[in-house]
Amino acid sequence: MIENAVMALDALFDPIRLAALFTGMIVGMVFGMLPGLGGVAAVSILLPFIYYLAPYSGLAMLLGAVSVVYTSDTITSVLIGAPGSPASAPTAIEGHALAKQGQASRALGVGFLASMVGGLTGAAILFVAIPIAGPIVLMLSTPELFMFALVGLYYAASMIGKDLAKGLAAACLGVLLGVVGPAQAAADFRYTFDQVYLLDGFSLTIVALGLFGVAEVISMLAAGGGISHERVKVDHWGEGFRDFWKAKWLVLRAAVIGVFGGFVPAVGASASTWVAYGHAIHSTKDKSRFGKGEIRGIAASEGANNATVISDLVPTLLFSVPGGPAAAIFLGALFSFGYYPGPRMITQNPDLMFLIVWSVALTSVVGAGLCFAITPALARLTRIPFAIIAAPLVLIMVIGAYQSTSTMGDIFMLFLLGGLGWLMKHGGWPRAPALVGFVLSGPMEQYFWLTNQIYGWSWLTRPGVLIIGSVIVIPMFLSFVRRLRARGRKAEPAPENALPTLNAPSHGIALVLAAIVSVMFAYALWETFSFNPASRLMPGLAILPGLPLALYLLVRGLRGYRNDFSRDANELWVLVALFVYAVAVWAFGLSIPTVALIAWMLLVKARMRIWTGLIYGTAVFAVIRLLFDLLRGDAPVGALIPFS
Amino acid sequence: MLNRRLSVAAAIVLGSTLAVGAQDGLFSGKTIEVVVPFGEGGATFVSAKFLEPYLEKHLPGNPDLDVVSRPGGGSILGANWFEQNAKSDGTTILFTTSSTANPFVLGQKGVEYKLADYRVAYSHPFSAVAYVSPTTGVTNAAGIRDSSVPLIYGGIAAAASDLPGLLSFEVLDVDVKSVLGFNGRGPVRLAFEQGELNIDYQFTPVYLTQVVPSVAEGRAVPLWTGGAMEDGVLKARDPIAPELPSVYEVYEELNGKAPSGIEWDAFQGIASVTYAYGLTGYMHPDTPQEVLDAFAEAVAAINADPEFQEESQKVTNGARLNAGPDTESAVKAALSPSTEVKDYLRNLLSSKFGVTF
Repeated sequence: MIENAVMALDALFDPIRLAALFTGMIVGMVFGMLPGLGGVAAVSILLPFIYYLAPYSGLAMLLGAVSVVYTSDTITSVLIGAPGSPASAPTAIEGHALAKQGQASRALGVGFLASMVGGLTGAAILFVAIPIAGPIVLMLSTPELFMFALVGLYYAASMIGKDLAKGLAAACLGVLLGVVGPAQAAADFRYTFDQVYLLDGFSLTIVALGLFGVAEVISMLAAGGGISHERVKVDHWGEGFRDFWKAKWLVLRAAVIGVFGGFVPAVGASASTWVAYGHAIHSTKDKSRFGKGEIRGIAASEGANNATVISDLVPTLLFSVPGGPAAAIFLGALFSFGYYPGPRMITQNPDLMFLIVWSVALTSVVGAGLCFAITPALARLTRIPFAIIAAPLVLIMVIGAYQSTSTMGDIFMLFLLGGLGWLMKHGGWPRAPALVGFVLSGPMEQYFWLTNQIYGWSWLTRPGVLIIGSVIVIPMFLSFVRRLRARGRKAEPAPENALPTLNAPSHGIALVLAAIVSVMFAYALWETFSFNPASRLMPGLAILPGLPLALYLLVRGLRGYRNDFSRDANELWVLVALFVYAVAVWAFGLSIPTVALIAWMLLVKARMRIWTGLIYGTAVFAVIRLLFDLLRGDAPVGALIPFS
Repeated sequence: MLNRRLSVAAAIVLGSTLAVGAQDGLFSGKTIEVVVPFGEGGATFVSAKFLEPYLEKHLPGNPDLDVVSRPGGGSILGANWFEQNAKSDGTTILFTTSSTANPFVLGQKGVEYKLADYRVAYSHPFSAVAYVSPTTGVTNAAGIRDSSVPLIYGGIAAAASDLPGLLSFEVLDVDVKSVLGFNGRGPVRLAFEQGELNIDYQFTPVYLTQVVPSVAEGRAVPLWTGGAMEDGVLKARDPIAPELPSVYEVYEELNGKAPSGIEWDAFQGIASVTYAYGLTGYMHPDTPQEVLDAFAEAVAAINADPEFQEESQKVTNGARLNAGPDTESAVKAALSPSTEVKDYLRNLLSSKFGVTF
């Protein structure tokens, strides 16, 4: 085995292969930074090129791209607050909060180091586990996968925050968004309104971009020509290194979570990142800083999502079952090079397995180093008025969303969910539980249904189920005991909120949101009656608590109503403008509304001078058109005038 | 497309040698867009990429092929896009499977494409092999009704590519519990290996690379294949796995007579689109005959190309492409079943699997 490993390392140090690996890495870094575009986009843009390379070089190029996406997305998440990829949403929450407090370098330093260690840990675990990885994947049957989803849900509960009603309602809303589309259990299509677009349900990228990204961009645009936040300075990394060292065991545990998440086909990076984040919350004594800039949250989620990269490839290589969409493309590339992944892979192509390990390890280190090197320059960008950066960002998000199906539905859905995310942000609803609910509702329903169909209730006694279940039961039991002991003692005074909340939720928006969500739940309940009984379970789990909670929030909102819409009116107009843009793209095709939107953003919102605005705007437009072409998405053609 | 230009530039830079044939020809200087309504990396996409260089080499004028993935709606979105945007000169091809054909045949909601009107440019057989776990005690196809444990089959959705498998159980009158709701045939195979399921169907290329090793280790018992077309009946053995009987033969052995009746008609119709013409390249209804003839000639040349024969031996045990009027009429016949067959299918799907139309 060692012999093969050395041979593979030697093979990788061939100049062409190294060049391919690092070319892929740079593409991966760029796409990781662009919100909504990630490993899938990077790999599919490289795909046509790899066929001109020899197999090892071509595969190294793809591996270079997938292994750094979750490292460089940290930059976007921290500096802008829009997740660079769905799996870095926790980093966006915690890291951006830190950046606003002037601690961006701390957040980024920990993020990069955790990313690197996550990638290395994943590679090391795979290196050792190659001979036993197969049996491990086979041990994870449907009941165990269901238990994993439950563990995720249990951790998600810790993200609910102070306002219990809003947090739970947000989680229910996320689950409801997750059940749109085909039911797992019976041949029902739920809440599709006869739209073919909705037959597959919502895409994770669009939900993550909508809930987190669009709302941030709206704030940036509304801030206009001014600089809304404190200047982001990235100069000294020392504090970040110390923070990382303090959290080193957490990062390692998170990496192990990430590795297991990757073993499970189709669960992958997003779910395991949230589980790791939840684990960070659980294992931190002072939980008050979570959501307001907790460095341990970043350490855990970056450690986990990078570890997933390589373990995603394990089911791909051993069973030909891709662990995620980027792994699916990698699988296709393997086929094209004449490798047929399967049970014989380890014995037939041991050097290929080790080539993968080495490629991921090498890019993890070099990629993190490169991120450290380029970040000071990128951070300087944040001194430019935010509206100027927001203009290309909006359009990149549109392209990212458009990767899902390349139909107008993607663009509409991005801004509709963006509107929802904006309402949640300003109405004081936490968005993390909504995204977790969305991510987990699919696997939970599917695995529960399959488990019950195959095993009845006997699955509850399976050893794997009991072991995973203990992850939930033991901490619950311990905290119960602790609470019993603490009884009788005087209740501790509620800890003073260290940070005064900058934006208290708007009463008006909270009321509007409660009303909208109440209507959604009420409608969802009504449509549920037309489903097969087996398809009702999961929507029921969302609606039964969700509807009363939303109604309660509605009543609470009506009682405490104050007309404070004017405070956010500025941002509301930006949201309206984005809706108008989406409709205009549908009517007139991509080019005309995009030019108009760029002009409006740069000249009206950012107040750029006409000539600089014109030059910059032309450059932005050219880049956007180029990206559309590179990513093989035919730009939308207008319904009213046939022009794209 | 810019992308294509870049790749060509890369090819020149890297000194790769592309086959360059006659410059004048029907498709000289043109780009043919092959639309795959599934994700990149899926089996259909991989097959389209597999055929790409051979079509580029053998079509007159050596066109560029551009394989584009348009996933969504279980392939309905991509096919609807084709209905609206396909060019009628043969430069847009819809390359797809029964996942697109079955919703059309069953008349499901959201289907805008008129698949039976399309011209058929070429087709690649994509048979499937049924196999069981040795824990069932079943050792060959004839013993399928004598399983010692209840048979559990895993699938994705009744009205999609699982349909022929489920119909074969109806034809053979085998009592199988179907657990639907898996994400794909890959996870189904994993569940079989984990012992959760004990009967499964896999498409041949997957069977050859993934299941044959299990058969060799005694962890899977192959039973039968979907069969191949012979004189318009799906009764011949599949050339890809000639050691296994077809469903037709298994029925004969179990019942002592040739299969007939509505169950058989439904199975044959659906199975021939799924297996015998598994992956089919469709073209716009107004495509000139000249273009279709050119494809038929190219397919004949590809089948005779030793390089193709060698590569396809590895992937599909040497399956050959089909094209020409016979293929087209067979595909079209399978896409337009009789009203009785349609009613039978819709009844079966709604009563047994809760599908709503």
